Formats: sequence, structure tokens, C-alpha cells
Amino acid sequence: MNVLGIAFKNLSRKKIRTTLTVSGVAVAVAVLVSLFGFDAGYQKGLDNDINKLGYHLLVTAKGCPYEAATLMLKGGGGLRYMEDSVYKRITSDNRIDKITPQLVSSVYNQEGPEGRGAFTLYMGIEKSYLDLKPWSKFKSGGWFSSNNADEAIMGYEAAEVEQRSVGDQIFIPGAEKVMKIVGIFERTGTQDDGMIFMPLSKAQEIFKLPNKLTGIGIKLKDIRTIGKFEEDLYDEPGIQIVSLAQVRGTILNLVSSARAMAGSVALIAIFIAVIGVTNTILMSVFERTKEIGVMKALGASWSDIFKIIWTETILICGLGGILGAALAGIGSSLVEHIIRTVLPYAPAGKLVLIKPSFLVISLLATLVMGLVAGIYPALRASLMKPIEAIRSGE
Amino acid sequence: MSKIIIIILFLSNFYTCAFAATGCSLNDPDRDVKRLFPESTGYRTEFITIEEIGGPELYRNIEKELGDRFDNVYETIDVPYAFYDILKGKDIIAYIHGVNQKGKYGGMQLILATDLNGRILDFFYQKMSSPEAAKFMDKNFTKQFIGLTLDDFIKGNINITNPSIKSHEDFLATLRGLKKNMILLNELRLKK
Repeated sequence: MNVLGIAFKNLSRKKIRTTLTVSGVAVAVAVLVSLFGFDAGYQKGLDNDINKLGYHLLVTAKGCPYEAATLMLKGGGGLRYMEDSVYKRITSDNRIDKITPQLVSSVYNQEGPEGRGAFTLYMGIEKSYLDLKPWSKFKSGGWFSSNNADEAIMGYEAAEVEQRSVGDQIFIPGAEKVMKIVGIFERTGTQDDGMIFMPLSKAQEIFKLPNKLTGIGIKLKDIRTIGKFEEDLYDEPGIQIVSLAQVRGTILNLVSSARAMAGSVALIAIFIAVIGVTNTILMSVFERTKEIGVMKALGASWSDIFKIIWTETILICGLGGILGAALAGIGSSLVEHIIRTVLPYAPAGKLVLIKPSFLVISLLATLVMGLVAGIYPALRASLMKPIEAIRSGE
Repeated sequence: MSKIIIIILFLSNFYTCAFAATGCSLNDPDRDVKRLFPESTGYRTEFITIEEIGGPELYRNIEKELGDRFDNVYETIDVPYAFYDILKGKDIIAYIHGVNQKGKYGGMQLILATDLNGRILDFFYQKMSSPEAAKFMDKNFTKQFIGLTLDDFIKGNINITNPSIKSHEDFLATLRGLKKNMILLNELRLKK
């Protein structure tokens, strides 16, 4: 008996019903695959972003981080600073691979009508800054001529906004200082693109913050020592440590609620799809009661009937699974666009990463779903008594 | 979690707040339109590039009219220029348009409000970095441009007093930027 052929023929009798049921399964699978893809893409993007930051740890002055963040955003002289003696003490630790001190200052430039303007971020750095960010390449120009030169290096976007080239001058309002541009960085896709850099000691001088720092970036020789290293640093007064492993965890926590909601929707979609498939096949069995009775009367065994009905279910789920996987692949850009508009922070790069393994897992899950959904209708059909089935179908 | 907020902000590229307008669009169009045209009921924004209107030929013609070469990094053929049609009911009553211009100490954003024939009704610097910025942004300087047309710029019929001898380059840059602005308005908007 050609079970597959019979199953196909049965399904093609009610084309609209079959199509709708397959579509339901496809949507559920597409949601599932997209969710897997989002999970993988987001974590990869986040790891890339954190690696691009270059540090394992960032040491900052103790204080309310919200306040510090606001001040950095809104400007003003209220940023918290620590003494650079902290840097001198930490730097001798032999667990450190690379370390760099930095001083960030924001200056409000009233450059428009009615007192309107914008904040510009300046960062005082030493050459060790480039050791922690080896991907920072010069688009043009190069490093400062000395540690106290009236020179600046601009991030890619900062140079674009100010229309600066190497050799041009830039005016720093507030400090009333004119500096010469000696270098412009290539685009990095990080916050550095919007910064204006200058030698650390020059920044301390012009922003009147002698011996002060806002942060110390640290990369350890062995990332596994980060916990102990952090613990030891807590003995240092007046500082707080931000570990990037912690940052990663925190951001993942931020998106986990969104992910949990999407997961719930996927589960509900799958549950509805299973019910839909069971219902469709069951209806089909009821409509064919007489036919099944005749088949049994002509010698079809219960296992033949069971196989036919079960195959129909698996076919519906299999087709839905393939269609859903294709849908997820085609629609990944759209899903990515939607996620980016909804999430508070989305890392750079591909946000929905659909791997072949996700497609295989989803297809297998759909087939299992088909096997489960088909059991009841198949049992019901196979256990029918031929005479009763023929009579009730009349 | 709280202490990580700074880094999250870094990761979120918050610097875009500091450098909000990279083009030549208005930073706060609602406020600017209402300030310049209190009688207006709304505005419509259109971004137009030289490339889409006339391609390389138009690009060269504009350079010729300007009497200067365009900067090959910051004044390319695909720069989108913002044009605001100022509406009163369904009627357009004026235009606002802006350009970026390289200044001595930083980028300048020069915004013009014009009537339907391209005559200047108002001019202001949306952005200017210079030790002499206050002198340039002073109304006594900017109001000298009111009433001028593209013809005046081309024929040299302008008599504007330089507000700062120390920053003569910024004065010349302002004149160049405004002439560029008027030519672009004419080619990309009025002739359209």
C-alpha cells in the first residue's frame, strides 16, 4: 500500500484547509527560528562590542553612576575624578597586560541662536590607549608630537561634523584654546568616533584638572583572574570597578525579559499550531468515516489506517516546518529592524543570526510535533469498526 | 547593575547626542520654523542631492557658479541638502535651507530663510566654533544679509562689514557658504 501517495491525495482534497493548517505551523516555526537567531546574533554582537571596547575592567571614581552618566551626557564640570596616584599604584600589578589612564571632559559649546548649542566630549589619553585598542588606525596623520603639545586627534565622526583635516585648527570653547589637528582615526563603530583626543597632560592642564583622571582601562594577562583582581582593587579607596563581564551579563539581563516574552509567544504559537493540526486531521477523519470503514472491510489493517493518518499529520507539519524555516530566513532583516526599534540597546552587526543548526532543530521539532499531534486522530481512525463506520457514514 | 550604566551608555554610542546634526538639517525645526515664521501652520521637509537632480554635470555647473571647487570629502555629489517648505494652510509661503561650511576652527552650519523668489528673509548660524563666534552670530552682522538675492552674490552687489578682523577666514567662509546655499536653493528647489 502506497501510504505516502494516499496521504498526499487525502490532503489535496481540501486544499484551503490544508494550506491554512500548514501556514499556522509555518508561522510557529518561523517565530521559533527567529528567536533562536536573535539569541545567537545578540550575544555575538554584544561580545564583539565589548571586545571592541578593549578593556576587561574600567576603574572609575566612586560615586553615583547615574549622576556620572548624566553629567557625561549633559556636560558640566561635575564629573567625578580620581587622583592619578591610583593609576601609578595599580600599574605595577603583574597580572595586568595593558593599562591606560584617561580623562574625559565635556564642554558646552553655545554655537547657535537663543543660547542653543551642544556638548563635545574631549578625552586626554596616553599612547598606551592605542595598545588597548589595536583596531584604532589613523585615516590620516598620526600621534601627538609630544605629551604636552597643543594638538588633537579626532574621531571619524567628530572630524566629519567639524569638517576637519590634518593640519586644520579646532577651537575648544570654555577653555578658549585653539589646537592643531594632527590625526584623524578611521571609523571604529564605537564611541571613539565622536571624541576629540588630546595628550593626557594637556587635557589636565586646559580643563584645570591637574593629576586627575576619570577612568583607567585595564586588560589582564589572564581573563580568568578578573574576579580576584577586582576583589583586590576594592581595597583601593575612592574608586569603583566596572567589569565588562558584568556589563555583558547586565545587558543580557536587560534583553532577557523581551526574550522571555518572545519565547512565550513562540510556545503559544506552537501550542496553537499543534491543536490546529490535530483538529484538521480529526475533522478529516470524521469526514472520511465511511471511507475508512470501506477500506477496513476490504482488508486494510488498523496499522495501515494508523500509518495513513499519521503520515498526513507529519506531511502537514513537515511542509509547515520547511515553509517556516524559509520564512524565517527571508524575514530575518525585517525581524532585525523591528527588534532594533524596540530594544534600548542593540549591538552593532547582524542581530538575527540564523544558523543551519537552528533550521535542523526546528524542522526536527516540527516533525516531533507532527508525530504527537497525529497520535489521537490516527488511533481514532484505526480503531473504528468497519460496519459501524460504514453505517455512521451513510 | 546600576554602576554599569556608564558603560552601557558608551556601548549605546551616546556620543551621537553630542554630535546630533551631522548634515545641514535643522536641529529643532518646530522651534525654528515657529520663530522665523510665526504665521506658518506647518512645514514639509525634503532632502535633495545634486546627484539625483542633475548628476556630475550639475555638480560642475554649481562649482562654476560658486567660483570655487567643492571639497572632495565634505562637499560630495551625494550630500543630502535639507529644504523646508514653510506652509500656511496648503500654500508654501517661504523656504528654509541650510548648508555645512568649513570654517577656520570647525564646521559651520549656515541656515537661510528665503521668500519664494529666493530673497533672504533671515540668516543664522546653527553652529559655529570660533573664538570670535559671538561676533559672527550677533544680529547686527547677520541682519546685513536680509534682502539679498543670488544675483547680488553673483554680481558682487553685497556690502557686508566683516565683524572680526582676527577671523577673516570665517568671514570669507560665511560668504562662500551663503553663496553655495543660494545656488543650491536655486538649482535644487526653485528650478524644480
